[in-house]
This record gives sequence, C-alpha cells and structure tokens, in this order.
Amino acid sequence: MSFFDLNGTLKPLTALKQFGKKPHTISYPKESKEAAPRYRGLHFNDLDECIGCGNCSMICQNAAIDMIHIDGIEGKKGDSGLRPRIDNGRCCWCALCVEVCPTGSLSLTKDYLYVSEDPDSFLWTPGKDNPNGKEQISFFSTEETSLNVFNRVPMPELEGKERVKSFAEVVLGYSEAEARAEASRCISCGLCTEVCPEHMHIPEYINAIATGNDADAVRIIYDNNPLPEMCGKVCTRRCEDVCAIASRGEALAIRWLKRYATETAATAEITREIVNPEIREANGKTVGIIGAGPSGLTAAYYLALRGYDVTIYEANAKAGGATMYGIPKYRFPIDSLDKQIDYIKSIGVKILFNTKVGKDISFKEIYDKFDAVFMGVGFPDAWPLGVDGDDAKGSMQAFRFLYMINSGEKVDVGDKVVVVGGGNVAIDAARVSRRLGADVTILYRRRVKDMPADWEEIEGAEDEGVHIVPQGIPIKIHKDEKGHVKAVEYLKAKMVPDERGGRPKPVAIEGSNTVIEATSVMAAIGQMGDYSFLPEEFTDKIKIERGRFVVNEKQQTGDPKVFAGGDAVNRTADAISAIADGFRACKAIDEMLGKK
Amino acid sequence: MEKKFLILQKNTQDKMREKATTLYIGPQHPGITGNMMVKVQVEGDTIVRARTEVGYLHRAFEKLQERRNWLQSFTLLCRFCVPEPDPVEESYARAVELLEGREVPERAKYIRVLMLELARMGSYMLWYGGQSGSLGLYTIGQWTVGDRNYILDLFEELTGGRVYHMYIWPGGVRRDLPEGFADKVLRTMDYFEKRLKDYDDLMFENTIFQKRTQGVGVIPKEKAVEWGVVGPVLRGCGIKSDIRIDDPYEVYDKLDFIVPTHEGGDIWSRALVRRQEIRQSIRIIRQVIENMPSGEYYNRIPNPFKWTLPKGDAYARTEATRGEVAMYIVSDGSIHPRRTHFRGAAYVHGITLLEKILIGENVADISAIMNSLGVCPPEIER
Amino acid sequence: MMKELKEKIVQRIKANFADAAEKNDFNYNRLDFTVKKETIPSILFYLKDEMGFIHLSDANCVDWLEEGELELVFIVWSPKDKIKIFVRTRLDRDNPVMDNLDMIWPQLNTYEREFREMFGVQVTGLEAPDEFILEDWQGPPPFRRDFDTAAYAEKTFWERPGREDAQDVRETIANRDGEEIPDFAKKYSR
Repeated sequence: MSFFDLNGTLKPLTALKQFGKKPHTISYPKESKEAAPRYRGLHFNDLDECIGCGNCSMICQNAAIDMIHIDGIEGKKGDSGLRPRIDNGRCCWCALCVEVCPTGSLSLTKDYLYVSEDPDSFLWTPGKDNPNGKEQISFFSTEETSLNVFNRVPMPELEGKERVKSFAEVVLGYSEAEARAEASRCISCGLCTEVCPEHMHIPEYINAIATGNDADAVRIIYDNNPLPEMCGKVCTRRCEDVCAIASRGEALAIRWLKRYATETAATAEITREIVNPEIREANGKTVGIIGAGPSGLTAAYYLALRGYDVTIYEANAKAGGATMYGIPKYRFPIDSLDKQIDYIKSIGVKILFNTKVGKDISFKEIYDKFDAVFMGVGFPDAWPLGVDGDDAKGSMQAFRFLYMINSGEKVDVGDKVVVVGGGNVAIDAARVSRRLGADVTILYRRRVKDMPADWEEIEGAEDEGVHIVPQGIPIKIHKDEKGHVKAVEYLKAKMVPDERGGRPKPVAIEGSNTVIEATSVMAAIGQMGDYSFLPEEFTDKIKIERGRFVVNEKQQTGDPKVFAGGDAVNRTADAISAIADGFRACKAIDEMLGKK
Repeated sequence: MEKKFLILQKNTQDKMREKATTLYIGPQHPGITGNMMVKVQVEGDTIVRARTEVGYLHRAFEKLQERRNWLQSFTLLCRFCVPEPDPVEESYARAVELLEGREVPERAKYIRVLMLELARMGSYMLWYGGQSGSLGLYTIGQWTVGDRNYILDLFEELTGGRVYHMYIWPGGVRRDLPEGFADKVLRTMDYFEKRLKDYDDLMFENTIFQKRTQGVGVIPKEKAVEWGVVGPVLRGCGIKSDIRIDDPYEVYDKLDFIVPTHEGGDIWSRALVRRQEIRQSIRIIRQVIENMPSGEYYNRIPNPFKWTLPKGDAYARTEATRGEVAMYIVSDGSIHPRRTHFRGAAYVHGITLLEKILIGENVADISAIMNSLGVCPPEIER
Repeated sequence: MMKELKEKIVQRIKANFADAAEKNDFNYNRLDFTVKKETIPSILFYLKDEMGFIHLSDANCVDWLEEGELELVFIVWSPKDKIKIFVRTRLDRDNPVMDNLDMIWPQLNTYEREFREMFGVQVTGLEAPDEFILEDWQGPPPFRRDFDTAAYAEKTFWERPGREDAQDVRETIANRDGEEIPDFAKKYSR
C-alpha cells in the first residue's frame, strides 16, 4: 500500500450522499414510539379476577412484589383478599409473574413511561393505580402459555363394564410417580385450607408428597384429621372448588393425594409408627361419646392424645357411622375403614359396640358417669317420598337400602330400579343397584348440572349404565295386585328462574305424565335425626331446632357439659364437617376440663 | 571532574528510568468497553507492561442463582453480557435440557437460531460503532447503532423486550412467532444487505482504518489456541474454529453457511472476519425463515416452584460474537441450582490475553485492541 | 464411531493414569474422569500435549459443603476429536490446596485467582495480584455454600421504607380461619 491511497481517502466521502436521505429516527418527544403488541411494560392487574394467591410475589426474583391489603377488597372463600403491589424500582419486567398467574389477571401493558420525582410513588398497585390499563394489555398469559400445569394427572379406574360385576373399589389410586406429578402442580397458596371445614394443612402435605416425603405428609395430615383415608376416598372436597389452578384448569386432586399419602401407611401399626403421636399422660378425666361416626371418632382420638379416658357408645356392630353404613364399599372398602378404627383404638380409645343409648344404656347414666359428653349421633332416618302409593312393597329409602347392603344383608330389588333424588346417596343407591344386576333410572327434579352429587360420581354412574332422567317430579307409585311396586308416574318439569336470584326452580308441566316401569323405588331426598334417646329432663337445656341440635361456636349445647357435632348439628352434612365439629369439641372440652 | 561526570551520568540514568510511566486507562474511559481498568506502564507511548483490573461490576450472579429456582435463575442470564444476552440464555437452556433430558421441539430450535443470529447481527452493529469509534471514525457508529434499532424492533415484536429478551428458556422459547414476523425479518435483512456496502465504504475502504489496524494487536497463530483465544479472534488468526460447526447445537448442522477466516491475527483480520460473519448471519436467517417447520414451540416445564433437575452436571457451549460462551450447571436434585458457572470469552480475552498482546503496542491503540477482542467486563465478573 | 473413539480415549487415559475413574455413559460427546488431586497437572499436560485436547474450555469449583469437599472441574476440548473431557478432583474443604497450573494454559492464572478469592483455595506457586474481583474483602470466601448472601445483604444494606405492609398469603388465610400449622409442617409451606 502506498503512503497516499486515493481510493481509501475518497471512499469515506461517500457518506455525504446520506444528506439526501430521509432520517430514520423519529422526532422524540413529539412522537412517541408505539410499543409492540407483545411489549413488556408496566403491570396491570384485573382486581376482580385476581384471587390473591400470591404466586406472582413468590416467583419474583427481585422481591419486587408485595401482597397487600387494599381498601374495598375483602377476603372471602377462594380469595385471600390481598393484591399484588409492584415496586417498580426493583422490577425487571421479566414477566415471570404473568407466566405463573393462575387466573391470568396479571399482565403487562404497552405503557412504559413512568416519571415521578417522588421515589415512593414507584410502589404502585396495578389495577388500582392504572384502572384503564386493561385497554393497554400487551403481554399476557393464556392457558397455552401459562406455566401453571392445568391438566390433572388422570386417576386410574376400573372400566365401567368391569365395575358393575362386583363391589371392588372403583378408583385404583395414584402410583408414586403419578402422585408426585400431581402434587407438583400445587402452587402452595393455601386458599383451599380456608374452605376446608377442618382447615387441613393442604399445601404442606401436598408439598411433602411432591418432594417425596410421604411420611411427613402422613404426619401433617394426622395433625387434625384422624380419618384421612376415609376423606381421601369419599370427601366432598370443597377445597378443590377454590383451587387457584381451577380458575383456568383442573383443580389439584387434593383428595386423591391425601388418599395416596395415607395408603403409603398400609396398616394401623405402620400408621402408628409413622405418625408416632405424642400421647399425654392420663389426666384422670373421662369423656363419654355417643356415636362412633366421624365426629365422635375425631373427638375421641384427639381427646385420647391429650390424656383423657374416652369411651364411645356405638349402636351398630361397626364404627364409622354414615361412612360405614351409608357409603358403598366400592367407594370406601371396609378394610380401609377398619385400619383407621384400629389405629384410633391403638391410641387408647374404647368403643362399645351394639350399645344403643336410650335402649342398652340410658343417656342419664352416661351424663352422670363422665366429666363431659359428646354426641355425634348423625341422621339415622330418611325422609319418605311422600307420594301416593309410597307404602307399596319395594318402595324404600335409599339410605336404608345402603345400610342393609353394607350390613351384609340381601335385598331383592328386582330388575328395574327407580331412584328419586340427585345427591350422593341417590347415586350410591343407583350404582349399588347396578351391581345387584338391575337396570337403574335416576329421577331428579332439576337438571343434571344442578345435582348436588359429585360430578365424578355422576359420571361414574353414567359409565356404569345408569339412566338419568332429569326434570322429572314423581307423583305416584303404581302397585300391582299384590301391593308391589309396578311403575312410577312422574311429571316433566320446566326450569323457572328464581326471582330472588336463587337457583332456577322446577315447575311441573301439567299433562306431561309419564310412566316408567319399576320393581323398586328408592327415595333419596334427605335424612333426619332420631333424638328419642334424649330424656325429657335434658331437652330444656339441650335444644333441638329444625331437626338439629343448637350449639355455640365451641360445639357446646345449652348444657355446658354436653357437646354435639356431625350431621345432627351442621347443615353441610358431610364427613369432613363432622370431623371439624369433633376437633372443635375436643379443643373446647380440653379447655373446659383442663381448667378444673 | 571525573567524579562530577559520574554523578551527571547517574542522574541521566535515573531520568531514563522515570520515563516508564504508569497510566490508568479506565474504569471510566470512553475507549474502554465497559467498567474495567487497564493499568499500563508506558515508555514513551509504547506499552511495556499491562495489568487488567476488574471488580467494578461484580454482582455475584452465580451465587444469586443458587438462591433462586431453576426458572428464576433464567431471568438473571441476560445481564451477564448486555450487548448480546441471547447466547447466555441459550447456553443455560441447553445445559438444563441436557441435564434433564428435555426434548426441544424442532420449531423452537429454528426460532432459537433465528434469535441467536439476529443477536449476532445486533451485537456486531455495536461492535462496528465501538471499533470505529476507538479510532475516531464516529459516523459509522451512528449509522450502525441506528440500524441496530431495526433488529431491536424485531426483538421487541418477538419477545416483548428490546435489549433484555428473556426469551430462550429451558424447553423451547417463550412465545411463538407473531403473525407476519417472518416477512418483517426478511425485509430487515434486505435493508441490511444494501446497507452493509455503506459501512464498507466508510470503514474497510478507509485508509485511516486500514493503517490503524493492520499489524496492530497481533496474536501469534501458533499460540492462539493455547492462550484460550476463541471465536472471531481465533478465526482472525487463520484458524477455523466455530462451535456452530465443531460442536453443533440446535439446527446449525442443517444449515448451509461458511466460517470465514483470515490470516494475520491483527485487528484488521478480526474485523474482516466479523464483516463476513454478518453476511453469513443474514444467509442463515434466510434459510431459517425458509425451512422453519410448524408445530410446537415449547416443551412445557413442570410447575416452576416444584421443578427439580436430576443430580449431575451439564455444560453447554454457544458461539457468541465474542467467542465461546458456556454455562456449567450442577444440580443436587433440588429445586435450586447447586452451582452455576458462566464461561465467558472475555474472561480469557480481557485478562491474560489482553495483558500479553498489549505489550509493545502504542498506548493509543489500547481501545482499538480491546474492542477487537470483544472484551465485555460484566462477563468477566458476572 | 464416537463411541469407539471415547473407548479408545478411556483406555489410553487409564493406561497412563491408574487412579482415573471414568464416567462414559453420556449419549453425547462428553467424557468424565475423576482423579486424585496430585494427578491433575500430569493428566492435563498429557491431554493437552499428547492427546490433542488443546483448548481449555472452562475451569471451575463446586462447593460440596455437606461432604466437606471442594470439587475442581476442568473442561478441555479437542478440536480434532470434537470431544470434551471433564477432569475433576476433590479437595479437602478445610484445607484446600492445589498446585499452580498456569504453565499449562496461561489463562488458568485467572481461574486460579478466582478459586483463591471466591472459594478460599490456596494455590501454591500462583503469581498474581492478591485481589481479583473483590476489594478489601475481609469475610469468608463468598462463593462457598455457607456464605449467606441474603444475610450479608441485610446486614450491609438497608431496606427502603414503605413496604412494611406486605402480608404473607398463607399466614393471612391461616389467621383468618384459625388454622394452626404445626411447626414440623412449616418447612413445607412456601
């Protein structure tokens, strides 16, 4: 290269031609660039959609998100009442908070300019401080992009055709890998614990399962539920209704996970070994309990742990109450119940079977003998159908039918069964009848989606060939010459919206009479209590209103020494509420007797 | 008389010794590629000794990642080296996938290559500015940094962020291509193909650039690999080495491109390598757009709060504009990394290599040499 | 093809270094050798000079606190065979000493400075300034597992006021419904 390079000197001058070109910058601040449709700018939170699960604040690796209380938003079931506040001085707009938001309420907007002299104003609550941010939303999550795992690990079940052949358990239970996978979907927010009547420590035991510590999971579960395997199989699981994941996907299978954990302890001895409960020294106080149902067993177990001498009086030959006699064995096998009863007995709880209070022993005797009494007597009777021909042979209460089947008695239902009702008892009776070989029709006043039964139960029944006739109101049972059920006549109903905003009401359509043949009719329209065991001298103190005992928030009746719980007290009428009653009563009894 | 002469002679020798002056270039100096300092001893304007001093930008990211879960760690990655964050994300994502055995959908692989090559172009646009600016040629820098914004526009459209993309993550990429994106990319490539000629006129055809770079900052070819030289710098020594070819990842083995090399080992040959690589990047991007399959773009990870990786370690290397960058991750089976380590090209280039090749150079060339080595201080300190 | 090549490399290394324990179950181009710390210089020299693993890709240190050991990992690459080899060794965590290796690859000098500063590894024969990244650091080597960065940050810096009203979701719900979370369960809370 020569010292003077003409080309190399002149070439750079070609830059001059740029003078003739239009500049490609925009004239900021006059024009402000429109952000891309996916821009990650300032946050927006839909305050109504947000459930305050706090997942955003957990993923934030800059600790920029606080969950705070804001005026006008109160916590309710399925909503912690807290809302995220962003410290924009720390935020790096990675948008992981958006990706893990289960409801999809949190998103980022196109808005990226925020100027203030006051550094404290960098703390702001999206949705409250930018209410019109909704129009600006740019970076959001959908079911497809969200990092929440919305699909439940399916529960292995017997095939419908196989099921009707026997009373074998339908649900087969998760394998270890399936349980870990399902448990790892949980975001540990704890919204579920509030709706659980017993407030079980759900996020904790699920996390224990997710991390492979099944024994810890069992310990956590037994902290406030002595019948978890029962709950793991048949709980009404209101927890799953409010699961944060359920807002856009399938709720965590909380019930099945509890079932998995408790089944890892195969026998009562192993359970005892794993739970290894601390049993306090006997304190000399005694508690008598009427009824070995869930509420009575719960109170007994935790009182025994606290050093009380506990005796349960049970009218039937086996413990478990409605869970023993009301729930078919394909849902809740007898071994499973026995295992839990054995475990409770191993703690020191005494159960006197076949001892009906009011017949074999008087209430007065129990009242005088013990320092405190707990009544978990349940609803042993069922409502009759109350239509013409109700007294026919073959017309029965589904609850009684289940009781007989579960007691091992034989019941002849013929080959055509009509079950009236839409609750779990109706479905149970229908599915049991299927297993007895009958064709089964369920007659329900409202629509299928209005049925109070578990959707899984309804689906299970349909899989097994149960025919469901919705919107049908029975008006008459036809009898044959021998007085046996021959057919059921019903009216079709239309759904009329309720003016007061309640659920739509079925109203019979005149002239729409339909008749279906039947060999048996089962009424499953509700149960009621039997309080004849209570002598009159107690009834001024222990009040009964609308078929239930009146108790205070400590499960205490008008007689300070007498406590009550379970179906005979609460309106939800499920096992977990009964367990909650028992646990509350245990704490109250302990408090009362401990002071003396 | 004789004694007096001896004293005079001694004084002169002392003065000669004083000629070696210590200069502190940086940590705040427009010619330095970031917050670091080069402490040089010069005689006249010739460097006789150089020492790199770092520590102005240490954020202990590797340690911070140990406190975060595997997903949270991912948001720190783009900050390892700001001008070109994507290869770091790519290395981490691939290391995690390697350890976990997680499959990546084919489409995601193509999108990743698209990202990486766009990032390479964007980074080279900044390099144009730095390299020419270090020699006083400021116009090119204005142009290239302005043109880089077209690439950033593409990033914004694709990822939602202009500089910190946080886009390539374990399992694939975060979002699919928006509608019409491919056309926009192709239009931008057309623009660049025309525009590159202008850069050549101002830079490579410019006598000033040629004279200031040829024979300056020479790395001996026979020592290059041993000294840990990688990337365009190594290719500027005439050694064909590119991870995209040697240890291919994603879909680079299905793409047709060449790895340019130039003999010489000086700034000039390194610049020529980079100049050609931009053209190769455009070529790759066109192929990617043409061959990109449809389908899934992301193989979903489990719930990030309970996402564990199996015990073990993995190491994934990626070719960045600075050279080989890599991520080493160790898992003890928990939801947090046991240890992560980021291997940056600047860790070697900016310290031992720079200290070696600065000796004998003119003090005015420090900045040009640093730029040509691709020294990125945040990558050294992490 | 690659499998045979890996086999050959393993045999050659094992013939020369009796203490080398290999791990060769990777389905990609990687080999692992674990050696005694005394073998490190010779095996690295051998890999580089005799076997073509001329490129030092990375060197780093992992703290196995529970096992009381520090692990050094050297990753070398052969441009010819296109295989990376991990050479690892363990040092006693309470007295971690290693020999200076920067005569093999000069850039190891920098890595060793980092080992010394961040993990407290003593490198005999290392010639380098005392400080690398940290300045006037008095505390324990900060990259060791037992150094708690959060505690250090809390002690050294202060929280900007204005965020004290932050609530914990789990706690809020538990307080509202009177749930008593037992202590042994709390480690599973989020």
